[in-house]
Formats: sequence, C-alpha cells, structure tokens
Amino acid sequence: MNIICVCTGQKYSQWYVNNLKHMIDTYSGLKYDTFNVITKNSYTGVFNKLQMFRDFTKGQNIYFDLDVVIKDKVPEEIIQKDLHLVHCWWREAKHTPVNSSIMSWYGDQSHIYDFFKQDVIGLEKKYNRGMDQFIFENIEHKSWKNICNTIQGHEYEPENYDYSIWLFNQRYMMFQEGWSGWWKNYFIENTISKAS
Amino acid sequence: MIRIFTVYFEGKYEPKYVTNLYRGLKKYCKVPFEFVCLSDTNEIEADRIIPIYKTGDIKLHWHKLAFFSPLFGGQQPGDDIIVMDIDQVVVSDITDMINYPVNENELISIERWWNLGDRLAPRLNGGFYKFKSGSLKCVWDNFVRNIEYWQTHFYYEGLVHYKYYGEQNFVQHICRRENKKITLMPGEWIGKWTQDTVRNMKYNIKYGEVFNDDYMIMDQPNPRLKLIHFANPNTTIHDSKDEWLKDYWQ
Repeated sequence: MNIICVCTGQKYSQWYVNNLKHMIDTYSGLKYDTFNVITKNSYTGVFNKLQMFRDFTKGQNIYFDLDVVIKDKVPEEIIQKDLHLVHCWWREAKHTPVNSSIMSWYGDQSHIYDFFKQDVIGLEKKYNRGMDQFIFENIEHKSWKNICNTIQGHEYEPENYDYSIWLFNQRYMMFQEGWSGWWKNYFIENTISKAS
Repeated sequence: MIRIFTVYFEGKYEPKYVTNLYRGLKKYCKVPFEFVCLSDTNEIEADRIIPIYKTGDIKLHWHKLAFFSPLFGGQQPGDDIIVMDIDQVVVSDITDMINYPVNENELISIERWWNLGDRLAPRLNGGFYKFKSGSLKCVWDNFVRNIEYWQTHFYYEGLVHYKYYGEQNFVQHICRRENKKITLMPGEWIGKWTQDTVRNMKYNIKYGEVFNDDYMIMDQPNPRLKLIHFANPNTTIHDSKDEWLKDYWQ
C-alpha cells in the first residue's frame, strides 16, 4: 500500500507532512509500504495533485490532503479498487458533490493525468474552482458516502467520536500555534513553530 | 479579562509600532488588560506574542479577523476582546475606550467622522473593534469559507481603492447581515492624522465642524482626543515631523 500526499507551493510546511504521517502511523491502523510526498510544483495549485495518478500505478494507493485530521482507526472501506473520492454529504452539491481530500484506488489510473495533460491550460481555466469538479465531470469514479466529516460548523463543539477522519477544508491555519481545539491533541507537537 | 490583540508583520511599519502602542496603553489605561500581538518578530514588547503564519492565503491586515474566532489567541469565555491597529498613538487617558461596555452580539468601534457624508465608506473604523469573545464568530466563519473572495471583493466592487483593502467593510457587512448590533463610540475621542499638511488642515476643520470645537491637533492634540490614527496609505508615524508626537510615541 502506498500512502500519498502532496506538498507544493508555500502554504504547507514540512510540519504538515510530518504531522500527517504521525497521525497515520499512530491512529489510522493503516499498514502501508511506502509514504510518499509529491513536491514537484508543475501545475496551478491543486492540479499538482493529479501527478499522483502518473506516479503511482501499482498496488493500493491512498491519498490524503495535508489538512485532514486522523484520530482513530480509519474505516476498512477506505481500501478500494475503483477510484473513490469523498462524497460531500454535509453540504449542497453546488459545482461538485465530491471532494478529493481523500482518494483511494488500486492499480493504474494514469489515464486521468494523461487526459489532463492533453489540455493543461484549458482545463485549469475551465475548472478554476478546483480539480474536484474536473474529476467529477470527466473521470469515472465512485464516492464514499460517510467515511469522514468536515470540521466546518463543528469547530466550536466538543470532540465528536463518530468519525476518525476530519476534513478541515482549507482551515489549515487552525493547525497552527495560537489556535485551540480538540484536534491538536492528535498532532505531532502542539505548535507549528516548534516543529519548523 | 480584557485582551487587546494586534497584528504586526514586516513591511510598511516597524516593530516599535507595537512596542509604542503597548507602552501608550500601559501609561494611559487604568484597567488591567493583556496585550497580545500576532507577529513575525519577537523584537516587540507585548504580554504575549503569537507567531504569524504568512505563507498561507490570508493577506496583510486580514489576519485580524482570526481574533473574531474564540478558538484563537487563548481567549476564554466571557473575555472582552479588543482588536487594535498598530498605526495609532495614545495621547490621553484611554480607560473609557478600553473599558467601554459591550454586550453579547455587539460590535463596538469608532465612528469615522472624517468620512461622514461619504455613502460608500463604512461607518466604523477597523482600527478599533471590541466585542465579547465568540459572540461575533460569524465574522471569522464567513471569512474562512472563502478567503480569496472576500479579500478582494470590496476592491473589485469599487468600494476601496487598494487591492486587499476592505477588511472593515467586510466586518460591517457581516455584522449587519447577521443582525449584530454595531455601536460607535464618540468620534471625538479619535483623531485622524497624516503627513500631508493640507489634508491635516481639512481634518482639523472637519473635526471642528462635527464636534463643535476649534481644532483637532495644533501644537498639541485636543484634550478630548484619546487616540490618534495615522492610517493612510502614504502615512507612517516614524517618518512624521510633528513635534507633539515625541511626547506620546516612545
């Protein structure tokens, strides 16, 4: 099993990578063979994530965004043969009902990258709201209905034990020093400054 | 507990802006408070410093909005939160401002008397916000849902002249939309000053008209003033040649 994350640009420091690995190793229960970080900044923002479909074409692959919190054993259905993304059950579908904060697939899905590579400029422009919509509209996929929850709207509530994976949906700053919340109990250290 | 929050990052201003504001508050405020700065340097005086994370999506003074979240800055339930810009000088007893009564779901700010009559300008001044911890978390929650959009929205709408300006427009917009009460403290407590002599003359005249007084700042600030705001894109305090400033900004 390959665990994959993407750390390009300036937004996320190495601490976020270390912290994700810490949470996976400590809480997730996943037994993986390789932990991989894509750092090559070849495309615009989130479209760099598509490089994983080029680079990981064998065996089981599971991808996590760097702003997820993993605090307990992940559901077994996270291991999937067909390409799976997160179904955003907590919100209206809007421009896309899926979220690529977590993805899982077995084997070769390089056709996704090849499709994108044919018209990088056009597709980045067309899907300027993100690559989730690109996958939703162009790529055969399935989605988990209830594998995780979002922190949005729950950040002020006491810790919820119903979900082992929490998406922070761009609230990555809430991982940093100065912020408080139950999620910090699961971090490699309590502050980003100590780690960086 | 009253917690006064500020933001500093390298750029237009120097670390001594934070230090001098802190010293001014210590000198002229008779009620206890904690002074906290979200900063990219430790070369400042403050009761507590929180490191600022500059590589993310949040630009410039928009970092102030994090203080509207009760999860930020070590806030405790029941705290009175004050957010101040650092380009201000305390010139007399400021206790009535720091201790100004505030209720849940209420935003206290200062009236922008210099913009009276300008229908496009917000009524409140982003240089000073006061609220009960957590009661205005809607400000942060709405901002973080779409950071990039809000940071440029008021510029593209033509309501502010500089890209990434408009944070006070945003705060006013959200408070009104979410039916939060906005209370403005007496405008006569705050002065507005620049390095432009002509503009300063206009401010003096306007202050006199609005508050029925002779002047705002002549050789010394009008005794009614508690705080003087130097906010203007081309104005700094450290370059000011005003003699009166030496008594207060140190």
